[in-house]
Amino acid sequence: MTDELEIVPKADHRVMGVDHAAFPTFDPAGTVRFYRDVLRFPVVHSICAAGWGPDKHPDFIHFFFDIGNDDRIAFFYYFGLKPYGDQTAPGDSWARLDHDTPQFFTNSRHLAIHVVDEEDLLEYRKRLDDSEWPVEMQVMHETIESIYTHDPNGYMIEITRALRPVTPQEDLDAAITIDALIDIAEGEDPSMDKLLERKAQLIVERAEAWERAQQHELAPEPVLVP
Amino acid sequence: MSKTPVRVGLIVPSSNVTVETEMPRILARAPGTEFTFHSSRMRMKAVSPEQIRAMNAQRERCVMELGDAGVDVMLYACLVAIMSTGLGAHRDAEMGVAEQLSLGGSEAKVLSSAGALISGLQALGARRIALVTPYMRPLAQQVVDYIEAEGFEVADWRALEVADNAEVGRIPGERVMAAARSLDLAGVDVLVISACVQMPSLDLVQTAEDEFGIPVISAATAGAYSILRTIGASVDIPGAGSLLLADASVVAS
Amino acid sequence: MTRLYVLEVPENEGFVEVAAADPVITVDKVGPYFRLSADDDIVIDRRATGARHAVWYSAVAGLENSVITQQDKNALRVQRR
Repeated sequence: MTDELEIVPKADHRVMGVDHAAFPTFDPAGTVRFYRDVLRFPVVHSICAAGWGPDKHPDFIHFFFDIGNDDRIAFFYYFGLKPYGDQTAPGDSWARLDHDTPQFFTNSRHLAIHVVDEEDLLEYRKRLDDSEWPVEMQVMHETIESIYTHDPNGYMIEITRALRPVTPQEDLDAAITIDALIDIAEGEDPSMDKLLERKAQLIVERAEAWERAQQHELAPEPVLVP
Repeated sequence: MSKTPVRVGLIVPSSNVTVETEMPRILARAPGTEFTFHSSRMRMKAVSPEQIRAMNAQRERCVMELGDAGVDVMLYACLVAIMSTGLGAHRDAEMGVAEQLSLGGSEAKVLSSAGALISGLQALGARRIALVTPYMRPLAQQVVDYIEAEGFEVADWRALEVADNAEVGRIPGERVMAAARSLDLAGVDVLVISACVQMPSLDLVQTAEDEFGIPVISAATAGAYSILRTIGASVDIPGAGSLLLADASVVAS
Repeated sequence: MTRLYVLEVPENEGFVEVAAADPVITVDKVGPYFRLSADDDIVIDRRATGARHAVWYSAVAGLENSVITQQDKNALRVQRR
């Protein structure tokens, strides 16, 4: 039996991050200036193609910039294609929204790119501030610090660093929040108040299991006596 | 023969004339399927590393042109262009062309003569092979290394050392056969009579197979085999070596 | 009884310290959360906690028979429901 190879089952969570996030552009020159020249993200791939399928589209270029970690941001530039929608309305090259759309909603969809520390965050801040696209906002969130700007296509780009690693209790809190959210979102008039009330119930319900798990986790560790 | 013809796209070096001659000749003999041929050319006159690099840069344009023609299958017909760019390069090249096509909604299948040669050798169950190439020795050595990296042993090989690609298209069959006869074929499973789609060899394949008594393939017969397999047609073309008789109902013994 | 929960993370330390220093608030632990209890309203002064904007507005993890009646740049007030 000991000769048999141990078969390690594959993990349940198998995806490996972002291969690429793709967006249309009507300003390829500005896009290349922003990503390649200002942020200095290397161009790593490009494809020239045409619309051959039933959904005929113009000749186009699909080009990619490295955003680290072997992940990429990619753009489509379609020759001769004009932007859709009212170009004075809020939005970006992918879509224009109604004129009265508030800014928080327009900016809610965005790409956030990770850096390791404050030095690197400030380096990107400097690159952007020296360009046509200065940083619009620098924000310290609960556990991350971020800078934001809009690229030449109107897409909001965030560059962010973690202030500290995420702790196990935050994972538990996130799980409880989402369970509470599902419970109240399917009920009448979901509100923050209802969410926090439901969360309190789940916090009490799950506290014992958490404490037992913590004991279990700590048990095999040698006890340090000062 | 009332079926819609299968459109075959050929991406060829500009100085190549042989693949557009041999491929239609072979596939015209395939029972039950009609083929039409459409080619796009990449500028290349001398088979040198510099010109091969310049030629590969034209690949995207060729794919676009053949994509516009709505071909069903596309063959990147320059074996050395792929094999000299690095071991296993046909996979990347085929993937790159396939990505370009599928991104634009084309369902064309993608093949390369480099990949087809490997598939042909695998289909014959080859392990130990011998090879005739028209290339200069350094390029020929790269082709040999490439094939060995795909898991075959190249027992013996000849390089005819013709650099000018137009001249490669005029190499007489007798010279190719003479090179083949000079090979040590002891223990060899399969002879590749021409590892190049430009060196004329179609008429030599059956002759060589009869003379040497082992299966003989060329870059062209391997390409035809892969095209037939890819479109799901039966492989039953007599007189061009046993690879193209893979699906023949009665195999001549 | 007014009751709320705050997750134990470094950012919330100031919040919990201010609560613990207030004689009318009892602080104990439930799992990885601090439980703040009081017979009457629980009031926390934001400046005393030193909490940044984003931290301040996400400090409360749960409410037990209680309701937030004030949460602004000055203070958090939680009352019995």
